[in-house]
Amino acid sequence: MRVGQNPAKSIDSVPQPQRVTVALVSYIPFLGGYYAQSLEVLKTCLGSLWEATRTAFDLLVFDNASCNEVRGYLQDAHSQGRIQYLVLSDKNVGKGGAWNFIFQAAPGEIIAYADSDILFRRGWLERSLEILAAFPQAGMVTARPMRTPEAFYTSTLEWARQQADVQLEQGNFLPWETYLEHVLSLGTSEEQAREWFASRQDIRLTRQGVSAHVSAAHFQFTAPKSILAQFVPFDMDRPMGQVRSLDEQMNASGYLRLTTCDPLVKHLGNRIEAGSIQDGARPAPKLGFLHLPPVKKALLRIYDEIFRLYHT
Amino acid sequence: MRTGANPAKAGLPAYQSKRLGIATIMYIPSQEGYFEHSLEIFTHMIASLRAATDQPFDLLVFDNGSCAEVVAALRSLCDQKQIDWLIQSKHNLGKAGAWNWIFAAMPNELICYADSDVLFRPGWLKASLEVLDAFPQAGMISAQPNFYDVMSGEGKAHLNLTGDSRYALIEYWPRSEIIDEFCLGIGASDEIAEPFYKNPLPAVKNQESDVEAVIGASHMQFLIPRQVARQVVPLPATMGLRRTETMSLDYKIDELGFLHLSTQQPYVFHMGNTLSERLLDEVKKVTGAPAAPTAGAKQETVRKAAWQRLALRLVQHPRFNRHFVRLYNFLFQALHSKR
Repeated sequence: MRVGQNPAKSIDSVPQPQRVTVALVSYIPFLGGYYAQSLEVLKTCLGSLWEATRTAFDLLVFDNASCNEVRGYLQDAHSQGRIQYLVLSDKNVGKGGAWNFIFQAAPGEIIAYADSDILFRRGWLERSLEILAAFPQAGMVTARPMRTPEAFYTSTLEWARQQADVQLEQGNFLPWETYLEHVLSLGTSEEQAREWFASRQDIRLTRQGVSAHVSAAHFQFTAPKSILAQFVPFDMDRPMGQVRSLDEQMNASGYLRLTTCDPLVKHLGNRIEAGSIQDGARPAPKLGFLHLPPVKKALLRIYDEIFRLYHT
Repeated sequence: MRTGANPAKAGLPAYQSKRLGIATIMYIPSQEGYFEHSLEIFTHMIASLRAATDQPFDLLVFDNGSCAEVVAALRSLCDQKQIDWLIQSKHNLGKAGAWNWIFAAMPNELICYADSDVLFRPGWLKASLEVLDAFPQAGMISAQPNFYDVMSGEGKAHLNLTGDSRYALIEYWPRSEIIDEFCLGIGASDEIAEPFYKNPLPAVKNQESDVEAVIGASHMQFLIPRQVARQVVPLPATMGLRRTETMSLDYKIDELGFLHLSTQQPYVFHMGNTLSERLLDEVKKVTGAPAAPTAGAKQETVRKAAWQRLALRLVQHPRFNRHFVRLYNFLFQALHSKR
């Protein structure tokens, strides 16, 4: 039975959420193979976030069933008050499942989402918010310019062409180095990057003195919660690979997809240092025959099956 | 930079939530005074839930800024796979603030909320679902007859039942043992308890199925369909635990036209913050009950092929495990090295 009065009844005020909730999803099932450096990447990501963000925000981390080392690190950061909301999921509900949770529950009016392998640079949030303010129809703003397929930003172009107070320019505004930095981070070769770079141009919009590139990406974006909430629940039955539906729905609903003009976030990927795989094991074997298509296919199958055995 | 393909993209299935999700809120700022036994009582709650729930469910615990010892205990329960989602808030957001998270985000079709000091008895879910089936317009269903009208007669949704030939508004006289137990749970004085013995509770009957339910539901424990939960958030949340804020849930549900209902029998019991012989007996009775397929909740039913079962046994075997890990890492390095 209840004896006495619950002291919680005498709490006259509770902290109110910040306007911006920065939300990250982490999934590092073990520290080996693809994920050998992922904890270091996560630490770099969070460290840069805390260092580079001047606007007040609450940090929400949704951990999608990572290993104990990762959870221990997140738990420590939460205990130190550096993560305001830590969600530990016992199972991997996928990026879509985590989005369903975040986009509905995050307490901020603005949600700044990032994968857990992003490096933040000074001004990333402030500039993203500036663009959201200057372009009220904006659905998502990524804090780095990039070139993506036009199919995902047709609504942005259509809207811009109809606005008398919007200046639309087309040309090569994106420096090669900026383009290359991102494309290399995805594991693409420089040769391929040069070919892509030559084949496309950038579109820049300016309104009320604020410029933004046309395009956006789902690895990092800042968006009004009221808009994101319109697209949930995402029907995703796989952990990854179906998240483009956000880009499609955002465009189909007529919202703008924009980026900052400067590269204020960087995709780190799964390795901190380029050029070497360091996971405490021996150097990478250079066995050319493993890359023969049938051999590689068979080995990849074994590799994937071992992962499945451990993680399903 | 990215090296290799993220294995998570290799077509693995993402976890799909169960039909039922159960959520509770923890707030144990210290293990003294009022909260001295709260952690132990919470463990009784979880045990009773597992023993008394005959359907698989996902369990969400929202920790509203508890002390380090309690957080460590929750982490341990997570590690033991007793909690499916643990939300840790650095600060106490209040009960309504935590509800805002739970009702907005739980993916389950049916959401059961319970305070962290509620004992569940076998049959609670079946009885609650019977009421939901008989009254599909129900928004909140408690598994214990409701004695307090939190809206003090201002509720209107149940008035829609008047004149509907499918339903009859009736009176329900709970047995004195039911009232005794309720009063014991809340520590009611004789003065508070007296009217409960003298007045019937308003109730409703489905004429076709003969299912009866008490009109009214309790914040202590209730079942709420997800589609209703999504419509009631956000609730105002500026204080720790104030009736004015938690009651906004009732007003929203009522305004939306959904009913507050409760079962006629007490399938849940408010344990409060103290332990007694009677309570411990009750806990033993529930958790010792052999019937419930307890953790249907924790049984995964993914069918694996024979070779997968064999391989799984091998990779989990201490002697072979490290070899598989080495093979895995070797393959990653070899397959993703530059030629």
